[in-house]
Amino acid sequence: MSVSKGMDKLQVKAAVRQAIEIASEDIIELARDVYEHPEPGFKEQRTAHVVANALSAAGINPETGIAITGMKGIKDFGGDGPTVGIIGELDAVKAPGHPAADPESGAAHACGHHAQLGAMVGAAIGLGAPGVSEALSGKAAFIATPAEEFIDVEMRWGLREAEHLGFLSGKQEMIRLGIFDDVDMAMMIHTSSSKAQRRFIVGGTSNAHVVHYVRFLGKAAHAGGAPHQGVNALQAAMLALSAINTQRETFEADNQTRVHGIITRGGVATNAVPAEVVYEGRVRGRTMDAVDKISARIFDCYRSGALAIGTGLEIVAIPGYLPLKNNADLARVFSDNVTTEYGKESLMTQADTANSGGSTDMGDLSQIMPALHPYVAAASGTGHGIDYVIDDYRRAVVDSAISMALTVVDLLSDDSVKAREIIESHKPAFTRQGYIASQTKRLKKIDYQGR
Amino acid sequence: MVNPSNTVDLKNLVSDYVSSHGKPAIDLALAALSHPETGYQEFKTAAATASAIRALGLEVREGLAVTGMTATLQGGSPGPNIAILSELDALPVPGHPNADPDTTAAHACAHHCQLGNMLAAAIGLQAPGVLESLSGSITLMVVPAEEYVEIEWRNEQRKSGRFEFLGGKPEFVRLGELDDVDICMMTHVTTEEPHDGFGVFASNTGLVAKFVKYRGVKSHAGGAPHLGVNALNAAHMAIAGIHAQRETYKDDDTIRVHPIITRGGSVVNAVPDDVRMETFVRGSSIKAIKSANEKVDRALRAGALAVGATVEITTLPGYLPLTQDKTLASIHRLNAETLVGPDLVHEFGMRGGSTDMGDLTQIMPGIHPYVGGAVGRSNHSEDMIVDDYNLAVLDAGKAMAMTVVDLLSNNASEAIRVVSEHKPSMTKDEYLEMQRGFLSERSFTE
Repeated sequence: MSVSKGMDKLQVKAAVRQAIEIASEDIIELARDVYEHPEPGFKEQRTAHVVANALSAAGINPETGIAITGMKGIKDFGGDGPTVGIIGELDAVKAPGHPAADPESGAAHACGHHAQLGAMVGAAIGLGAPGVSEALSGKAAFIATPAEEFIDVEMRWGLREAEHLGFLSGKQEMIRLGIFDDVDMAMMIHTSSSKAQRRFIVGGTSNAHVVHYVRFLGKAAHAGGAPHQGVNALQAAMLALSAINTQRETFEADNQTRVHGIITRGGVATNAVPAEVVYEGRVRGRTMDAVDKISARIFDCYRSGALAIGTGLEIVAIPGYLPLKNNADLARVFSDNVTTEYGKESLMTQADTANSGGSTDMGDLSQIMPALHPYVAAASGTGHGIDYVIDDYRRAVVDSAISMALTVVDLLSDDSVKAREIIESHKPAFTRQGYIASQTKRLKKIDYQGR
Repeated sequence: MVNPSNTVDLKNLVSDYVSSHGKPAIDLALAALSHPETGYQEFKTAAATASAIRALGLEVREGLAVTGMTATLQGGSPGPNIAILSELDALPVPGHPNADPDTTAAHACAHHCQLGNMLAAAIGLQAPGVLESLSGSITLMVVPAEEYVEIEWRNEQRKSGRFEFLGGKPEFVRLGELDDVDICMMTHVTTEEPHDGFGVFASNTGLVAKFVKYRGVKSHAGGAPHLGVNALNAAHMAIAGIHAQRETYKDDDTIRVHPIITRGGSVVNAVPDDVRMETFVRGSSIKAIKSANEKVDRALRAGALAVGATVEITTLPGYLPLTQDKTLASIHRLNAETLVGPDLVHEFGMRGGSTDMGDLTQIMPGIHPYVGGAVGRSNHSEDMIVDDYNLAVLDAGKAMAMTVVDLLSNNASEAIRVVSEHKPSMTKDEYLEMQRGFLSERSFTE
């Protein structure tokens, strides 16, 4: 059938590849530009502007301002085939001390999201090559998502209180807004500093998590003159963290539990008893059930700190991410393209159970549609560390763009038979409405007074 | 001969008589040192003490509050009754050179010298012609269990009805042994300066005692720690909470909270499910003790909450702060100065330790001077040794006997003045009601 539309599939792929190769310097430059101007989640205004311009230049006019800084642009190939989403994440993490960190915000692309944006734009350019549309049936959706890093919780909670957000991560919020309602499957490629001598790593899962936003509320008093008049919220928080540490021995190894957090407000003046201490924390584990169970235990740890010192306590448990579930058929299509393009040695396949310990809102998407979240080994250093840098932009941006674009060709050619098969056989864990309802239910607010 | 109306002559006579006839007092102290016993179990010590008192020709009422006793010296005419007290018990101090190898009990608080100095005072008052010149009586009161230790065991004894209060003097008050006493005194040994003299006017903290039991869930500590609930971690968090609260205590309140763990798990490779603690909550006033006790209870509950354990908190009546009668203390001070010179009598301030003499000073005029004669880091340490028995036993006894003479000579006019000017902070009934009010047994699973 493809022949009847002009080029055969190999010719289509060659055209896609060639278009991306021609644009390779531009898309690498785009990634580097974003790298030089890192912005944290829901504040990626400049990044969004740059990406929207690049998509427009590739002939796709995205709708912008979705979930504050997100965007979505459609390439319609014609026909009635499904829509394949290609995702790039707009946000930087915070890593003060990183060579490319923003000196004011501390934001830095120490997670390599900037490369995803180059790859996404590259895929758009490739799939816009002459003759490609004629061979494909369906659509590609290019979706730039804000705020994958679940940070700045207090600020984001404020955005939610002001009704600018419903969920506090980009993909979660875009699902809530219906942006993925007309998207049938989704993929993105994340950079990695894996020491494995492979170009792409496919498979594996990620941790589920819940986000805790906790305020210990004491009473200020002169710390030297009248400490007996104060109620020290920092002591309450310290005890709570110690209590959490006593629980570590109860975490089952198989669950890959992670409990960690930061104190974002720890007092205002050394010579005043701290009256307000704010903690942002995370409880991660393999399953939502395990996370919920441990989360309840951790609530008691917060309470114990408040009880010992006699502070007030406000806990907000914010729906975090669901575990990543890569679609095996989608992975096979992608993997075939990788091995064809770069050789068998370029691919590493992980077991479905291999868990990085981290979490991603691609996990949420993967619970409602076939999804793929491979890694491209193109970086060195520690993810989220000050030494995480992309060493191989060609691989991170250009090879990723080619791999994704060629995967789309396989999915949507021959009247999108492959994509239809995948959709047909996929059993999502949630409907979209079911997902929204489930996540909404996970939001908990607990007030407590230690007495 | 002695002029019975001349108090100075009488006191010189008493003092000289203790010097010449005081050997049994030192012997009693050394005997007690050789068989240290903890509170409510001072059977050998009590027997030695009773026989030493009997040797003075006095009748002894024994078996009061298990091991306690009293004996009375009658003056020539009726008048106030003055108690001279001593304490029978030692405390566990492993490593003390005189510690009992089985129980580790040792006289590292030198109560053995109190037995001696009480006896020395009695010997002095028995000097020919002295008692006849006094109006009133002197009760030798030998009390068990001043050290508030072995709380779990004593609490069981309390529940079985053997005694109500875990300290000897509160129990003596309950039994009515103090009902006919108008003034009380005893002299305690200290390692503090002046080594060769006396410390007077001190105040001591009061306390409530607590026995705490954490109930967790046992499981294999290596194989299945996720199935356990670690009671030791609960206690750990409770102690951390207690520490975090310290900054909220006012300096003047002299709050002391110092728990020990009496059971911390059974084997290393099982998650501890039964952990027990004992602690005091001390403070310089009853109000401060109550307030700190509430905070400590919160920390104890928080430990259980942190790990998901249950905590049983037993709070037991302890001791009240020591408030010495100023007039009485001034009389004693002059006598101490006569014996060692004014430079070797120091004024002590607020002290962190506690004594059940504090309880008596809340209901009647009393003094609790300190005497030197000991060396070591502090009382209760393994290096606390009495090195001057002449001072700790004989001089301390002399000062008390001379004070009795001051009080009861001249028709007991000084004793009557002390009693009439003294305003006790509570009656015996109020005292017992307050102490009983501290008792609580509560369990928390939060």
